[in-house]
Formats: sequence, structure tokens, C-alpha cells
Amino acid sequence: MLSICRHEWKLGLKSLLIWSLSVGGMGFLCILMYTSMEGDMAAMADTFSNMGAFSDAFGMSTLSIATLGGFFATEVGTVHGLGSAMFAAIMATVLLSKEEDAHTGEFLYSLPVSRGRIVCAKCLALLAELVSFTLICGVLYIGGFIALGEEIPMKELLIFLGCMLLMNVEVSSVALIISACSARNRIGVGLGIALLFYAYDLIGRVVPDMKDYLFAGPFSYTNASEIFSGKEMSAAALITGISVILLSLAASFTVYLKKDLAS
Amino acid sequence: MSDVIKIEGLTKTYGKKRGVTDLTLKVKEGEIYGFIGPNGAGKSTTIRSMLGFLNFDSGKIEIFGRDSRSEHTAILKDVGYMPSEALFYPAMKVSEVISFAAQVRGLDCRKEAAMLCERLQLDTNKRIKELSLGNRKKVSIVCAMQHKPKLFIFDEPSSGLDPLMQNTFFTLIKEYVREGATCFLSTHVLSEVSRYCERAAVMREGRLIREDSVENLTESSAKTVKLSVDGVQEEYIFNGDINELVSELAKKKLDNLYIEEPSLEEMFMHFYEGKEGK
Repeated sequence: MLSICRHEWKLGLKSLLIWSLSVGGMGFLCILMYTSMEGDMAAMADTFSNMGAFSDAFGMSTLSIATLGGFFATEVGTVHGLGSAMFAAIMATVLLSKEEDAHTGEFLYSLPVSRGRIVCAKCLALLAELVSFTLICGVLYIGGFIALGEEIPMKELLIFLGCMLLMNVEVSSVALIISACSARNRIGVGLGIALLFYAYDLIGRVVPDMKDYLFAGPFSYTNASEIFSGKEMSAAALITGISVILLSLAASFTVYLKKDLAS
Repeated sequence: MSDVIKIEGLTKTYGKKRGVTDLTLKVKEGEIYGFIGPNGAGKSTTIRSMLGFLNFDSGKIEIFGRDSRSEHTAILKDVGYMPSEALFYPAMKVSEVISFAAQVRGLDCRKEAAMLCERLQLDTNKRIKELSLGNRKKVSIVCAMQHKPKLFIFDEPSSGLDPLMQNTFFTLIKEYVREGATCFLSTHVLSEVSRYCERAAVMREGRLIREDSVENLTESSAKTVKLSVDGVQEEYIFNGDINELVSELAKKKLDNLYIEEPSLEEMFMHFYEGKEGK
């Protein structure tokens, strides 16, 4: 099983590096841009925090965009949230289906390892990739804070990255169902899932009537402004997230272990 | 000799489409067994059911006396499978693919793999994406043989291989079979069956229509009749009372006449076109 996990890790390594360095690099540059924009941000902060529902949606009513913490939460929070969710969705959508899509399944599944163990090995490799993605981005963000000579809000940063990782696992577990059901790579559908979850969270924060249902989306517990302002995390959102992960994994395994593999 | 493969009443459908219907066959230890049929006859469905890629509707498959459903992983330890499409991970090197297959099996197959690569003249430093179909087939052969399995399952193995490599491939099979292995050979190339197989099964439209020794398959009462009447040539397979054939021919003004034993190719056409004599 370890050989298959290592093999899967190698297959995804290039994508991991491209995505993590792109998202983490963008975050790093955002942090560096703070000093050049600090003066302008102070003037704009009041306007941004008084835009009603839109200020709530982007967390600008909770934290001042003029502070580094607020700037990080608003800008890097959005970039990392969207970028990591898209990476997680893409990787998970092709995790199982790529063997049938590229006709490599006949080779892999003729080796003496049960289908269940192969799926486990692939899921472990995906988890390792998501953790590595978070670590690479985290290191780049810390590098940004160090480069600016600012104090690193370590506790908030760790909570932020931990929640993002959980969100990535949730998005990927839902995308894994698509991979288990399809014999073709459905990257578009995977990306759609990630963007749909993001849109759900955005709408939930803008439309007052939707607020009560916000917890159902994976982005609900990753709001950087709430994390950096020290707001308590919604237990309902976390429990829902973990439940979605477990149910999605169970559904993917059930479907994939019973399906006929396409030639 | 014990049965290495025992299939009883195998039926597999794809929704409303037919795959294999009520297939029963046995492959004995140490034999090279031919599995013949046109495209869509159900050959690949049978193989894919044996290997656990497909969940069949009914019937039973036993390999080495083990149930193919409940002891699938244990069976695959002793099986070397070569699919018709030799496709691997494009960015990997040949050596990486071969060692990956050995690693997953938990075996050190370097010695055997090196011997096979040398005999098949396979460059292990190339990446899969740089290989032609023939060379990918060679990678597939090495992956199927390097762990010296007790059973080989080959699906159209020789397509893409040049005649020299085809010869090397079948020599390798014969060597492994001499050492006690069994070979299940699914192919379109009937000359391979007549040359290398002891017994063969003929599939048509998902059903087994004949299973016998290759000798018996060609030595039936059927005859190839080639005749020429008024400059018009005619050829058919006759399967019936030879006296009736002679009476029928006596009514014609023949220019020329040949009555021959049919080749395996002709028998195959006879079986799968469903002609039962003329």
C-alpha cells in the first residue's frame, strides 16, 4: 500500500508545486504589498467597513483592512481559500477516474492489492498533498511577515491554516464522489464544486435570510476575518464539515468498490 | 492435471447489452489455452471478470481453486496479466514502471526483469511517453512475467510486436510453461493458436460455441470445398454426410474440384459466421 501511496504522491507532485507556489507566492506578494498600500488603506478602511452586507461578506466590517492582520485576512484569506479549494477539487476529481481515463487501471488493478487498499493509498497521498500545500503556503506567508519585519500572528495563522486544510479535505471528499462515479476526468465539475461552495458562503454572508444556513458550507469556518478578530468558531459548521467528509468518503468507497472498471 | 481456471455459468451484462452468457470452461495446469473470437464476442469481458475488474451477474470463477470474488488479491499474486492496451503512466521511466510493479508485489524481481529486458531488447531508461506501441507491449510483457507467475493471462499480446519479438515472446511463454506455468491466450491471430495452443475455445456473441483440442477443432467432419463450374469459382465449408456432397457435386459439370481439411482460420470463420454446412 505504501508503494501505491508513494507512486500517487509522485504523480501529483508537479501539480502540488505549481499550485502551492502560485497560491503561496501570491499571498507572499500580497503581504509585501501591504507597506506600499498602508497609507492608502488607512484612508479607504472606513469606506470599506461601511459597505453594509458586502463589508460583512468580505470581513471588512470585523477587521480594519488598514492593519496587517486585517489586510492579510481580507486579501490572502480570499486568495488562499479559493486557490486551495480549487487545487483540492482538481486533485480529488481525478484521483480515481484518471486510471480509467488514461487506461492505466488495467495495469494498477491487476497488481495483488485490493481495490479498497488502492483507494485508501490514493486518499492518503491526497491528504499528504493537501497538508504539504498548506505547509508550503504557510512558510511563504510567514516569510512575508518576516520580510516586513512584522510580528507573526502565529496563533491566528495556525488556526487559519488548520481551518483551510479542513475545508480542503471537505471539498476534496465531495469531489472524490465525482471521481468514484465517473470513468472520465471531470475537472470542470470539480472546479464547479469548489466555486459553488465559495459562492454559497458569499451569498450566505450577503443575504440576511441565508445566514442561518451558512454553517452548511465548508467556507463558513474558514473566514479569515473572523479567525483573526478572535471570533469563536461555529461548532455546528465544524461538525457539519467533519460529517460531510465522513459521508462523502463512505459514499465514494461504496460506489468505487462495486463499480465495473472501464477498459 | 488440476484445473487452474474453472468458469461455471458466467453471465455478465452491461445494462441491456450482452457481455457473456452462461460461459463454462476449464483450463488445465501447464497448458497454453487459446481463447478465440471476433470483436465483441465476450473475450475481454471474460478476462476482466476473472481479474475482478467486473462484477459479473451470475456464475462462478475459480482460479487455483480460489473464488475470484472473495480471494481476488491472493489470486492476483500468482497471475501475470497483459492487457490488450499496454498503457502506463506517461511521465514514468520504463525502469520505474517495472520496479513499481515488483514493489507492489513485495518482490525483488530485478534479475528476472533484467533478463526479460535484455531478451526483448527494451531500453529501460526511456520514458513511457517516448515509446511506440511495440515497446509499450514489451514493458507490459516484463511486468506480467518478472514475478514468474503460475498463470499468464494475455489479451491480444502480439499486436504491435514485430515478428522477431513475437517469436521471442512465445519462446518465453513456452519456457515458463515448461517450468509449470499455465497460459490463457486470448487472440485474434489464429496461427498463434494453431502453433502454440493445445486446446482452444471459440466465442461468438458472448457464448462459447466450441471448446476442444486444436487438433480436433480442425479435424472435424467439415471439409473445405473449392470448385469451379463454367469458370465461376465457389468455396464453402461442408459439414455433413460426405455421400450427399458427392451426389450433389455429381450433378454439376465441374472444371475443377478440391476437397480439403479446413484450416483453423476457415473453421473460425465457419463458427463465427454460423455456417453449418451447405
